[in-house]
Amino acid sequence: MRVRLFGLIAEKAGSEFMDAEAPSVEALRARLAERIVGLEALSYAIAVDRVIIRDDAPLTGSEEIAVLPPFAGG
Amino acid sequence: MSVAKSHKVKDVFTDGPIAPTAISMSVAKHAARTDIGAHEIFLGQVRADVMDGLKVVAIEYTAYREMALERMTAIREEAFAKWPSITCLHVHHSLGVIRAGELCFMVFASAPHRQAAREVVAYVVDRIKAELPIFGKEIRSDETHRWKQNT
Repeated sequence: MRVRLFGLIAEKAGSEFMDAEAPSVEALRARLAERIVGLEALSYAIAVDRVIIRDDAPLTGSEEIAVLPPFAGG
Repeated sequence: MSVAKSHKVKDVFTDGPIAPTAISMSVAKHAARTDIGAHEIFLGQVRADVMDGLKVVAIEYTAYREMALERMTAIREEAFAKWPSITCLHVHHSLGVIRAGELCFMVFASAPHRQAAREVVAYVVDRIKAELPIFGKEIRSDETHRWKQNT
């Protein structure tokens, strides 16, 4: 699956996209932490199909996944 | 007079700052709606915060546009449900580099009476700050940056 990265997370990853295979949100968090140095110290949320998922949830690979650092609008 | 209240997905994002003249134009466009008795406007301006002796000279805004517009549509629908008397609600947020002193955010509500207009603007501003995936890179006077975070 292609994961979209934003803001500080994209800066840390050096890219606005990351390809990862993960059967669940928890597995995705682990993949991201392996690939993005220092991610565990950062606050971020995962959005699945444009809705933030707080807990674990299965992923089929066809969802739109995004990693979102803290919001700063307004 | 009956004018349909708009609940369709609207693009709230504009590239660059919001021009002060755009606000008076926006007010002028409502002159035909003589059922309106009150306009309430919130304007967000980029503040030159100073931290560690370094001044913020601009904020570069980016957004997860698709999710932001979905959230904004939901917030708009909830706002119209809570304050059904609202005549209209306009939201604009800037993307790109906005310098200190420039406007980056506008929430503009019109209603027959002031109370609903005031309340809906406060509600929508708070919901947008908390829920729209908008990211802000504060660019400082020495060209370093830090990422802004709403509290």
